[in-house]
Amino acid sequence: MAGAAAVRLTLSNDGVDGLGTPNGLKVIVGWTFAGSGLYAWRRRPGNRLGPLMIAVGCTYLTAQILTQTHASPLFTWGVWLSDAWVVLFVLFLLAFPDGRLRGRFDFFVLGLFALMAFPLELAWLLFFETGGNPENALLVWANGSVAANVDSAQRALVATASIVLAAALTRRWLLASPPLRRALVPVLVGSAGILLGSVLVGLDKFQVEFETARWLVLAVYAAIPLAVLGVILRARLARSTVGDLLVDLPTEPSPVELRDGLARALGDPSLELAYWLPQFQSWADLDGRSVRPPTDERGRATTMIDRNGEHVAALIHDPALVDEPELLGAVSAAAGIAIENERLHVELRARLEELRGSRSRVIEAGQRERQRLERNLHDGAQQRLIALSLELSLLEEEFSAEAAARARLALARQEIATSLGELREVAQGIHPAVVSGHGLAVALEQLTARAPVPVRLAVEIDDRLPEAVEVAAYYLVSESLANVAKHANASSVTIVIDRREGRVVVEIVDDGIGGADTERGSGLRGLADRVEALGGRLRVWSPSGGGTRVMAEIPCASS
Amino acid sequence: MRVVVAEDSVLLREGLTQLLDRNGLEVVGSCESAEDLLLKVRSYAPDVAIIDIRLPPTHNDEGLRAALEIRAHHPSVGVLVLSQYVELGLAMKLLADSAEGAGYLLKDRISDVRDFIAAVERVGAGGSAVDPIIVSTLLSKRRSDDPLQELTPREREVLELMAEGRSNQGIADELVITLRSVEKYVSSIFTKLGLPSSGTDSRRVLAVLLYLRS
Repeated sequence: MAGAAAVRLTLSNDGVDGLGTPNGLKVIVGWTFAGSGLYAWRRRPGNRLGPLMIAVGCTYLTAQILTQTHASPLFTWGVWLSDAWVVLFVLFLLAFPDGRLRGRFDFFVLGLFALMAFPLELAWLLFFETGGNPENALLVWANGSVAANVDSAQRALVATASIVLAAALTRRWLLASPPLRRALVPVLVGSAGILLGSVLVGLDKFQVEFETARWLVLAVYAAIPLAVLGVILRARLARSTVGDLLVDLPTEPSPVELRDGLARALGDPSLELAYWLPQFQSWADLDGRSVRPPTDERGRATTMIDRNGEHVAALIHDPALVDEPELLGAVSAAAGIAIENERLHVELRARLEELRGSRSRVIEAGQRERQRLERNLHDGAQQRLIALSLELSLLEEEFSAEAAARARLALARQEIATSLGELREVAQGIHPAVVSGHGLAVALEQLTARAPVPVRLAVEIDDRLPEAVEVAAYYLVSESLANVAKHANASSVTIVIDRREGRVVVEIVDDGIGGADTERGSGLRGLADRVEALGGRLRVWSPSGGGTRVMAEIPCASS
Repeated sequence: MRVVVAEDSVLLREGLTQLLDRNGLEVVGSCESAEDLLLKVRSYAPDVAIIDIRLPPTHNDEGLRAALEIRAHHPSVGVLVLSQYVELGLAMKLLADSAEGAGYLLKDRISDVRDFIAAVERVGAGGSAVDPIIVSTLLSKRRSDDPLQELTPREREVLELMAEGRSNQGIADELVITLRSVEKYVSSIFTKLGLPSSGTDSRRVLAVLLYLRS
């Protein structure tokens, strides 16, 4: 349509030829489109954008050439092509950068322009009289006012459609991810051009002319294919980004540094890395935790990084980067060694993770087994012995007349009482049932009351904790108090249990002689295992003469 | 005196029922779960409920929770909790507000028939029964600057029995001394520990326990 306007203007102006004039610039616009299209097609044969650009360029050039001829059918054909060109151009803008339209709205916008270029243009041509040579070959009934009305309708339609298009493209640009946003620059330029062009054509209707603006529109058109070229060529320039990446990366980048460096080089902040661990036959994240195999889904795309025919890692990135295979390739190649290196670290972390998991499973299984044993003793032997003792005492009453029998029964009962006491010790040693039954605060009361020195106990947690955490804390207090009794020569102990930032902290401080050997025979090693299996940490400070402080931190989210 | 028994071991439940029966206590209901216990307490309004602390389904704290619920909603029903381990923390939880009509004994105690029946009757009559292990745990508790040191051995014995929930008469019988001298010991203990002398036996229990625990 801008083309038609240009033709109409040219017709009234006797357009001057030659480079440096609007007509010369038009030739340049046509050739840049076609040339850039050819280059784009060669670089990305799978993308329809290249052929589309060639079509835009060729149609534009053909229209320009044909409108300069004096053969009436060719001239008419040229006039019509100079409008049809706009439809192809809009299609190009909408389909950028992957060569596909994105839905019904795109078709609708395209339809608006098609309406202008095909039925309305045909209608115009039926009535439009050039009044000179060459004549309009389709002229049926020369009627200036009908032609002018159709022309106005066309101009109004184009103005509306241009605004809609520009708005839609701007919105697309605003919503795009950073890599895609970069690629969409030509489209933004294009929509600006179309908007400017349609304003110009609108003004032309009122005989207002802006020579500079016409130049500007043409310049913008010429700039679009160059911008497209820029996007494609940038992939070649990617080498310099990759260079930056290599310079930026420390010799032994941490997983986060590596990811950040790659994200910067690719211009995609959402970049994720997954490492293939052959020994586990699974994918893992930076921390060595197993993740699902990376796939192209939910708006993400995956690029495999292979070495010697085997997967090493996968970049999970914005799909817009698929259009920049050179960039991806260059970045992957440059970061290859760092990634390979990192994978070994990840593998190590995965092993640690596995080890930690199996340790906690072993302890958990042990815990369950102990619980089961205690339960069996409680419900079995202990109950039976109590029942037996009761039976004996009932017998004692029956034999109340026989002193000798009574004495022996009483003795037997005494034996049972002793056994019960011993059994109770054993069962409690196996598993402190009161902890699982009633919680840490209740269980610690007895423990601290029995302590050899005064104990200040503060349990600052009201709710129940996971059983494994409670049991670990209980053993920790119990073992520490036993150590205080044996070695510390302390006069008081303070025990604090509370929650800090998602962790349960158990702290036992005495004012004894300190100097505790944390590695040998203190029983603290076993406790450290228990705490570490829960992902926690046990630390002991015991300076000579400065008391002993035992502190365990166990991760535990508040419920 | 009317008794309800909640104990999940059949052997013990039968033995206990027989024992109570022979000693002139009427077992009006026995059951193996906390739910049944609450139902029976509501239906039979017994004088005392004897409760195993570990009851189905989880054998964790169902018995204790039932006991606390009875204490809260049926204050006229005494609650005697039996357990294979006695824990100071649990005793303090059970007796938190008052020791009136509450008891907490090691399960083994049921074979000391005389003492056990006396404890059941005490609790049924609104008194208290605290296991000697709890009392000795409290007495073993270390304190800096401990006034317990000032007690004579006899006074200490009296204190222990008092903390277990015995009445002055009970203490006199146990130690084979006169009621008069028990009263003398008690007032001397209260003076030495700086405790205000209190009315009923069970109030005295709680006061002593809280004192010892502090």
